[in-house]
Amino acid sequence: MPNEKDFKVKEYKKMSDPLTQFVNHIRAIETGFKYLVKPNSRITLNYPYQEMVLSRGYRGMLRLYKDICIGCTLCAMICPADAMKMVTKEGKKYPVINYGRCVFCGFCVDICPVDALTETGVHDAAFTSRKDLFFDVEKFNMDYQGEKLTGLVKRVKAVTDPEKGVKYEPVDSNRS
Amino acid sequence: MIELSVLDEIIYYILRPEFFVPVIFPGLITSMILLLITIWAERKIAAKVQLRFGPLLISPRIGGLLQLIADLLKFVFSEIIVPARAFKALYILGPALLLSTSLLPLVVIPISTSIHYSLYVIGNNGAYVPIYVNFSLIAALALSMLTPIMVIMTAWATNNRFAVVGALREGFLMITYDVLLIMSAFSMAIIYGGVDLFGFVNFQSSHYLGILMNPISAFVFLVAMLLGSSRYPFEIVEADTEIVIGPYTEYSGLLFILTMGGSYIKTFVYSILFSVIFLGGWLPFSGGIGALFTVFKAIIILLFSVFLRSVYGRYRIDQALRGAWKLMFLLAIISMVLSFIWRWFLVA
Repeated sequence: MPNEKDFKVKEYKKMSDPLTQFVNHIRAIETGFKYLVKPNSRITLNYPYQEMVLSRGYRGMLRLYKDICIGCTLCAMICPADAMKMVTKEGKKYPVINYGRCVFCGFCVDICPVDALTETGVHDAAFTSRKDLFFDVEKFNMDYQGEKLTGLVKRVKAVTDPEKGVKYEPVDSNRS
Repeated sequence: MIELSVLDEIIYYILRPEFFVPVIFPGLITSMILLLITIWAERKIAAKVQLRFGPLLISPRIGGLLQLIADLLKFVFSEIIVPARAFKALYILGPALLLSTSLLPLVVIPISTSIHYSLYVIGNNGAYVPIYVNFSLIAALALSMLTPIMVIMTAWATNNRFAVVGALREGFLMITYDVLLIMSAFSMAIIYGGVDLFGFVNFQSSHYLGILMNPISAFVFLVAMLLGSSRYPFEIVEADTEIVIGPYTEYSGLLFILTMGGSYIKTFVYSILFSVIFLGGWLPFSGGIGALFTVFKAIIILLFSVFLRSVYGRYRIDQALRGAWKLMFLLAIISMVLSFIWRWFLVA
């Protein structure tokens, strides 16, 4: 039978003496100042002008290859959020997607027997109306680009750095 | 006899402290510009400490300063929604009263010695202050303590449960910080032997700065100031993770700016009071440059108090009250004892 002492939870001291508390407060403010004057210590990106290259398996927005699709309806059946529906067009069934419901789980991509659905690396999309969230077959058949800044955007890659945590290295803009 | 032009006359009347201090500098107009810069600085400082960028997309060259103007415009043109169950007159009037009462202590705080312009010497009794009273410390503190009444009034008028909780917290804190502010300010009054703020600064010019003579009192005043104007770590009244934004929950649009501005301007006014009592106000300058220097010192205090947002979390109401009554109150008494010792030392 284990001793009761082994289960004792270590409690932190609730109230140290006021002088120690005061010194701790000063130390906290000092740390804040240190970060305030620390040069070039940012770990976030300057977003619209800097863009991170995402890894290959990134689950971004989906796209359909209409010519490959066999209309088996598996994607619509597996969809947990009811985002995907099948429509009949020119005598053949195609999936259409409603991004208002999509949770980007990627089940449809996994289940597709002919790999007609893929995940693109695009995740930063904004729409002005709810109707735009619904992608019909023609829109779903294209790579979604959205309204992106062109020319100015620097593409960077996240690299782990032992000192800073995260570091960004510029990559060639032609690669994706 | 030198002739005075009409322009000189007009400038004289504009520079009169009765108009210039409450309306232009450091009153309404300067405070409003400062308000925008302070909120921008608060966001920027917090971003820098937390390794982010902060506002940057609009005007990246000046660090996104125009973002605040954009925010202001957005608020000005957004709809003001008056809740059906609110007390309409006080609901509309409350924020304006809050802002104006938080500016009110400026009318008795001297910000410089009298200013020389052309042939004129502008000022009251040698001080650049709208109303010269020889009990200006008491008057300033008393006027600054009108704002909690307005906060509680607006909270009652909005008829919202979050607002009522916020107002209750304000009521608890009001009693606490009033005592601390008065005790720390009066412990300085013991050293100076009077309650005249203009006399305080003259005393400091002939002796030492207040913060050097009684640092404990300065510390207690600073903490009470943060408590009173709900800056971090005592942002208990407007605790936005607990009670939306406290007494101002129902406000939107322009009225929301007024409520938010009220608390920042209160910090600014307390900072001016701090710079006059403890940092020697306009010393070593006088006149117009002195006024600028007083406000410059106050801005440093203001920036420090908004910088604390990035360092601290928020205390609970019971922690703040316990700390204030158990530690700060004791420190205030110790500072009074220290002041008696200084007084005895200076007189002897």
